[in-house]
Amino acid sequence: MEIIKAISIGALFGIGLYQLLRRNVIRSAIGLSIISNAINLYLLSVGAYDGVVEAYAKAVGQRSDALPQALILTAIVISLGGFAFVLALLYVIAARYRTGDSDEVKGLSH
Amino acid sequence: MTPSLAAILPIIIPLTAAAVALLLRRNFRLQAAWAFGAMLTAFATSAYLLWTVWSTGRPVVYQMGLWPAPFGITIAADLLSATMAAMAQLVFVFGFIYALGAKDKAVRHSTFYPLFLCLVTGLSGGMLTGDIFNLFVMIELIVISGAVLTALSDDRYGPEAAYKYFLISTVASVCLLFGVGCLYVSYGTLNMADLAARIAADQAPALLPAAIVFLAVTFMIKSAVVPFHFWQPDFHTASPTPVSAMLSSVVVKIGVYGFLRMTTLLMPHADWLRAVLIALGIVGVIFGGLGAAGTHNAKRMFAYSTLAQIGFILIGIGWDTPLSLAAAILFTFNHALIKSTMLMLSGYLASRAPVKTASFGVLRGTGKYAPLAGVLFFVGGMALAGIPPTNGFISKLALFQSGVQAAQSGDVNATSAYWAPLLLLGISSIITLVYVFRALMKIWWEPFEPSSPEAKVKTDGDSLLAPGLMIAACVALGIWAQPLLQLAQDTSAWMRQPQAYVQAVLGERTSRLR
Repeated sequence: MEIIKAISIGALFGIGLYQLLRRNVIRSAIGLSIISNAINLYLLSVGAYDGVVEAYAKAVGQRSDALPQALILTAIVISLGGFAFVLALLYVIAARYRTGDSDEVKGLSH
Repeated sequence: MTPSLAAILPIIIPLTAAAVALLLRRNFRLQAAWAFGAMLTAFATSAYLLWTVWSTGRPVVYQMGLWPAPFGITIAADLLSATMAAMAQLVFVFGFIYALGAKDKAVRHSTFYPLFLCLVTGLSGGMLTGDIFNLFVMIELIVISGAVLTALSDDRYGPEAAYKYFLISTVASVCLLFGVGCLYVSYGTLNMADLAARIAADQAPALLPAAIVFLAVTFMIKSAVVPFHFWQPDFHTASPTPVSAMLSSVVVKIGVYGFLRMTTLLMPHADWLRAVLIALGIVGVIFGGLGAAGTHNAKRMFAYSTLAQIGFILIGIGWDTPLSLAAAILFTFNHALIKSTMLMLSGYLASRAPVKTASFGVLRGTGKYAPLAGVLFFVGGMALAGIPPTNGFISKLALFQSGVQAAQSGDVNATSAYWAPLLLLGISSIITLVYVFRALMKIWWEPFEPSSPEAKVKTDGDSLLAPGLMIAACVALGIWAQPLLQLAQDTSAWMRQPQAYVQAVLGERTSRLR
């Protein structure tokens, strides 16, 4: 179970990072959202390692830490707001520059 | 007022005022007056907080909802937090004064003042909080309000700059969350005091270096340290003047604050982090200076100059002697004042120019019609380069003296770690002088040649009240530097005793249990 979780978090990070570095601005926004989901999964696995015991607990017991779930809720709300703002910005950029290629969005580079 | 409540007022007042200001959006004058009044009140409380902490010698700690320390969210003001928060809010008061007198369309927007207040909330909250996840929330508040304020800008490239900033800042936030996760998985706590106690007791967890790296990357992006600086000149050039003056002076200091916390409270054992900070500081000083000397835009020039000044501060943090930490605090304070003044003056010139831009091509020769701004620009440039009688001289002198002192007291091998940076610091001060006087000559000495016959310098621009007051403060702090120097030295003495902070936050009972 742990190995599946670890691999899927790593894969999400990889995909997100790859999309973030693409030239298309819409792809980079999508990459951003994928990375924020990867980080949420990571925080979740911090709280309930193997579904039962917290990763930092030395003794074995039947409990799961609820704090990281609260952290994830906060992070989800923040990334939702941020993603909505990015989409609004992309709308303005697409209307103004008539392109989605980040190499063409370079009004500031001179 | 109970003293512990004073710790939360500098955060609560601007946050509530922002919500109320949004309700007042139909009446612009009332909204502006309300926001300015709230800012003054918030500054009064943070000054009171600083005074309480400094005079009693004990941190002021507020436990949110009265949950005891490692479980609830703690707002803890030791001398470092209180000094930084009071500094930030002082500069923001001047930012509000400038915004009230600005001619930009952006400052007339009904969400400008609420967002500006949110920026203050995030900044002072990030500096006062004692909880590392709360720090993340506050940093997100800074990012989103800064990005929206830039997207509102009169500059037609505002949305592009906001997009760049938001993308890179979200990457920084992901790094911060990752670092928080690494710390939580290793130590099972998010409270900074509790973390500091547990890290000091046990440095074995394999994820601790990863946490240090991720936190360091976050703060480097936040304060635009050299390999992570590329968003900063673009972003600061395109924001509205009152906003860019705040972003380039105090908002970048959240990263400096983070480094101070990391090297003195959370991970004082990480010597390699200090070495990295010194190395990046040196690169930043040189790169920022040369970058500033090669720009064609006054605002962009000062944004690059911020890279160099942050480099000085990082070197001070990396040396880690009592005097060099005091010099870093002093530098932080003085740079915040000087840099926001210089950006406001650039914005003033842009508001007078035929086309509203701070590029040298347009500004060339327009200074003839703005003699008062020329005087202020000259004094501010001297302060930036560190020439007496300005506060820039005091902070640079303190930093040089700490380096010389450390070089003389250390062993032979260590001295080269101090002399090489000192030499480069001297060179970069000369570069500062070069680019400031290059701008001065271009704007005030060269003749005004309008591109077309209709192009005229406007008769009225933004108000010069805020930069005038700040230059007066710069000169006053240069001549009468003793109180600020004393404050910086006391702060550095506090920073070298992290156990006092830990004890104040966790309380006697919990520390006895452990």
